[in-house]
Amino acid sequence: MAGRYEFFDHTADVGVRAWAPTLPELVQAAGDGLYAVVGRLVAARETPGRWLNFEFVGDDDAVLLRDYLAELLRLLATKRCVVTAIAVEEFSPTRLRVDAETRALDLDRSSLEREVKAVTYHQLELRPAAGGYEATFIVDI
Amino acid sequence: MPEAFTGPLEQVDECRWRIPRSYKPGMRTDGLIYADETLMKTIRQDKSPEQVANVACLPGIVGASLAMPDIHWGYGFCIGGVAATDPEEGGVISPGGVGYDINCGVRLVRTDIPASDAQPRLRKLVDTLFATVPCGVGGTGKVRFSKKELQELVVAGSRYVVERGFGCDEDVERTEGNGCLEGARPEHVSDHAYERGYDQVGTLGSGNHFVEVQVVEEVVDPRAADVLGLKPGYIAVTIHSGSRGFGYQICEDALRDLREVPKKYGIELPDRQLVCAPVHSAEGQRYLGAMRAAANYAWCNRQILMHLVRQVFEQVFDQPADQLGMHLVYDVAHNIAKLEPYQVAGRMRKLCVHRKGATRAFPAGHPEVPEVYRSIGQPVLVPGDMGRTSWVLVGQLKAMEETFGSCCHGAGRLLSRSAAIRAAKGRSIEKELAAAGVVARARGRTGLAEEQPDAYKDVSQVVEVVQRAGISKKVARLRPIGVIKG
Repeated sequence: MAGRYEFFDHTADVGVRAWAPTLPELVQAAGDGLYAVVGRLVAARETPGRWLNFEFVGDDDAVLLRDYLAELLRLLATKRCVVTAIAVEEFSPTRLRVDAETRALDLDRSSLEREVKAVTYHQLELRPAAGGYEATFIVDI
Repeated sequence: MPEAFTGPLEQVDECRWRIPRSYKPGMRTDGLIYADETLMKTIRQDKSPEQVANVACLPGIVGASLAMPDIHWGYGFCIGGVAATDPEEGGVISPGGVGYDINCGVRLVRTDIPASDAQPRLRKLVDTLFATVPCGVGGTGKVRFSKKELQELVVAGSRYVVERGFGCDEDVERTEGNGCLEGARPEHVSDHAYERGYDQVGTLGSGNHFVEVQVVEEVVDPRAADVLGLKPGYIAVTIHSGSRGFGYQICEDALRDLREVPKKYGIELPDRQLVCAPVHSAEGQRYLGAMRAAANYAWCNRQILMHLVRQVFEQVFDQPADQLGMHLVYDVAHNIAKLEPYQVAGRMRKLCVHRKGATRAFPAGHPEVPEVYRSIGQPVLVPGDMGRTSWVLVGQLKAMEETFGSCCHGAGRLLSRSAAIRAAKGRSIEKELAAAGVVARARGRTGLAEEQPDAYKDVSQVVEVVQRAGISKKVARLRPIGVIKG
């Protein structure tokens, strides 16, 4: 079973709960959840993807995941590109390394519904759950 | 549903509720929420009172951790929160007490256009605003600035864009702090922030940001309304936006930079989003320098947005903006931190006042109030939802005594975004608004549903509380007739 996500209620903003059997799949599911808050994001397939390497260090795996998601937001906002495939090279409590294929956003086929300002630290969690792992985060709209 | 607050809320009087300092370990002071019994029933339904208690844990906090009646659940601070800290007593600055949208705020433009003249052209007016004002997710502006120009802009504030033709001196005089927070440090702003903000000056954004065409429906204080130039039955325009991606990235960078700082200074925090640094520390000064740059960016953003609105009115009414009487009434920030002097326990102290979803509300006679308004007090602009009403108030002396010169900033959300979408299922919010006499245009499919009137508290109830508490006074009520949203 691959990772999945759902939204949960927050008065002003949007909460995302992602879960997956493995940590790499959780990273994927959390990214999918973040993109789903923004809207329906369709990558342009005509041009080749560009692989980027992300590395985050710290002492809290939930914060490392948040940092990765913040990077996805920044790329979307400044480069108008989305991550279309990832390979999680390392995910420990102190380091997250992700190789990510990025592609330009196909603006004609995408539907941008919400401007996500940031992935907040409020109620940020990553924990083992039945059958794998679960992460929750709240995004500022 | 969000989890309800189950802690103590002691009623002090008809519009004040206390969370005692004894509620949880780490609280250095009481929490104090302004609300009546009706509003308190909804306030208890989420975790916002818990956030008021959390803010009471910040080092150097002076007075109570305050919340205005439009309080709702935020992240770190509640929305509607006010907290003052004393830098000389180890007081901190917390980016979470300002928020990601640094200097999100509101400006109000008055006109000499009778509503009866506007009604026949309303659809054209709203459509032209929608076509002219850049809005929507990641919308880019028609005015571009190089990095060097942006660095000058964020130091100078509103005057920078006025000197380039986007307004007049009077606009600057009628903007909080003359549209400039002194002490901006462009060198403390990351390249990522410049990259995210270089093409967004003069853009509305999305979410709850809007341009609204309104009619002055009721004047409560004729003398003050006359000074502000608000006449019953005439058109006004409200603009709500902030510092766009530039500010979001500055807050993001600050929260990352400050992660280890509480440990360094021995500060215990109940929520990671409350990360902070002593105001006088190098880390605190670094954030303040960048935050002020974002505040100045936001004032330039709203100045250019107003310029575009004036151009649209000139086109639709075929008259110059000054002949249409399109003067800025005032521009207020409602997400900001400022160093302001207050008399506390018989001593004048310069405090760091965080307003997270709260508006400055200085009284008559205060030197920071523009001379033209000094006899009535600073205008406090309180937009409601797009179907009902908005209010113009003026600050009162009591605000200086109780709330560090602060007041509410809006209606406050009642429904989550998901709940609002569920409530809109099978309905057309656009048609419902049209039936109520409001022409609405929005970019996204979900925008109008998420921002529908039922998603918000009744702003008149909120305003009633601040008036009864004596921190602001009603001047005029505005009714929306046209709105554009991102």
